[in-house]
Amino acid sequence: MSYKTLFGERKVALRDVSLEIEEGEIFGILGPNAAGKTTLISILSTLLIPDSGSVSIFGMDAFKETKKIRERINMSSGLNLPWSLSVYECLKFFGMAYGVKDNRIEELIESFELSEFRDVEFEELSTGNKQKLSLAKAFVNDPELVFLDEPTTGLDPDVARKVRKKILKIHEEEGITIVLTTHYMAEAELLCDRITFLNHGRIIAEGTQDDLKKIIGAKDRVIVELSYIDTISFDKLPPEGIYSVEFRDEKLIFFVDSGEKRIKEIVKLIEPYWNNVKGITVEEANLEDVFLELAKRA
Amino acid sequence: MFFSSLQKELRKTMAFAYKNIIMTRRNFFTVFETLFWPLISLFSVGLMGTYLEIGENKLAFIMIGAISLSVIQLAQLDVTYVLLFDVWSKSLKYTFASPSSFINMLMGSWVVGIIRGFVAFLILSAFSIYVFNLNMLSIPAGALALFLIGLFVTALLIGMSACILMLIFGRRAEIAAWTLTAIIMLVCGIYYPVSVLPFEFRLVALAIPVTHFLEYFRAFYGFSPTTSQPLAAGFGLSLMYLAIFLILSEWSLKRARKNGMIIKLSE
Repeated sequence: MSYKTLFGERKVALRDVSLEIEEGEIFGILGPNAAGKTTLISILSTLLIPDSGSVSIFGMDAFKETKKIRERINMSSGLNLPWSLSVYECLKFFGMAYGVKDNRIEELIESFELSEFRDVEFEELSTGNKQKLSLAKAFVNDPELVFLDEPTTGLDPDVARKVRKKILKIHEEEGITIVLTTHYMAEAELLCDRITFLNHGRIIAEGTQDDLKKIIGAKDRVIVELSYIDTISFDKLPPEGIYSVEFRDEKLIFFVDSGEKRIKEIVKLIEPYWNNVKGITVEEANLEDVFLELAKRA
Repeated sequence: MFFSSLQKELRKTMAFAYKNIIMTRRNFFTVFETLFWPLISLFSVGLMGTYLEIGENKLAFIMIGAISLSVIQLAQLDVTYVLLFDVWSKSLKYTFASPSSFINMLMGSWVVGIIRGFVAFLILSAFSIYVFNLNMLSIPAGALALFLIGLFVTALLIGMSACILMLIFGRRAEIAAWTLTAIIMLVCGIYYPVSVLPFEFRLVALAIPVTHFLEYFRAFYGFSPTTSQPLAAGFGLSLMYLAIFLILSEWSLKRARKNGMIIKLSE
């Protein structure tokens, strides 16, 4: 999917992107900065029309039946809302703009813990509260599908945790389909049923978390923390069951079929560096590992 | 079904009136826009006319122009603010992601423009009665109403064109919100009859609806209009431009969705 900029220059933001999102799931779009996540979400939320390709939402053509679709969807993207409107006024305005009555506003204010800031203007709110308001606004029309563009970027860890909990709660209670972009792998692991990895505008992998972990072929990772060491090399090849080894941030990471089974072999392998070993831990392989592996391959 | 969908459309339209009212109320410059500049303009034009001893009718001529200019400028600013407030807040994409149409936005903000323009008209009229002994309210109510409707329709057209320009050229076109009225007023004979304009400019003037609305109203003060039916010419032209601008606004919106202008104006 590409589009023409103001100066007629053709900007290719997405290439051969094809995906299907199931009703009621939380679908994650992951990728580094400039991967095309926001462009994709802008297209899906009907704000951007690509010069080729099609988008179907609720079985309707997103570029032809835009109004009907917009009544059933909503979005939160970035921390910008009309600056002079208070929390209440902002939700009331968007409620009206979606053509709905304002009986949901008080409920949303309470549910997103904004009661204390009900009459505070948007520009006076903290970043966390601005994000909460942006999320509350995304639910003002009782949507069936919500697009959340990096919902926790720039938030304190504590506020980010609360926001994730809130998203999960709303999803569980109301069964809303949620499409979210993030570059936090842990966030995607916690929230998403299915995930697509975008890089340079292309989908490089898609599936459930388990599907994606299979890409790197490893179930666990054994992390050996080292000190005072810059490079490392092994005399012999790693035995079977150890799929790959990485050295990053003074940590030696072994991707293995089973941490429990392979730990003895790993200890043997790192024997020459034993004096530098600070500790060994076994963890389940995570999405970050998948992402790094995919980025390497790309 | 029909009434529920009508109610829904009304709610959407009023959303933009609601937003404009709040943002206007909290905008420090509102007082300057509504009172300060219009009064300064009226006062200086009135004093100049008095000093030049141009006579009661000619004084009425230029003061009608000064009041009309202020009313149109105020009302069109409100229409333009429907986009400008969002552009300044970088929240335009949220507005365009809602099911409200461009027409809902324009109509909602126009309502506020009409109210603000009408308040300014009453204050300026009272001021001109008190200071310069010119009573615009003595003209038959129906004629005055038609004249005001003409001014508000003109404001809508100017506001629409400023919005269209912003969707096409982005922030560079913001200045249109303040300059379009001045450019149009230069040609449409705000302080002089269009007959004094060079021929080519006169043709342009006759293609602008407000020229005819001004001529219609000034006829009550003894000035003959260029056309025999100034009201019909004014409203006829307005309808034509309205149709053209509606098509252009749909086109510019689609273009803005294609070239990413909406996203760009939200960054």
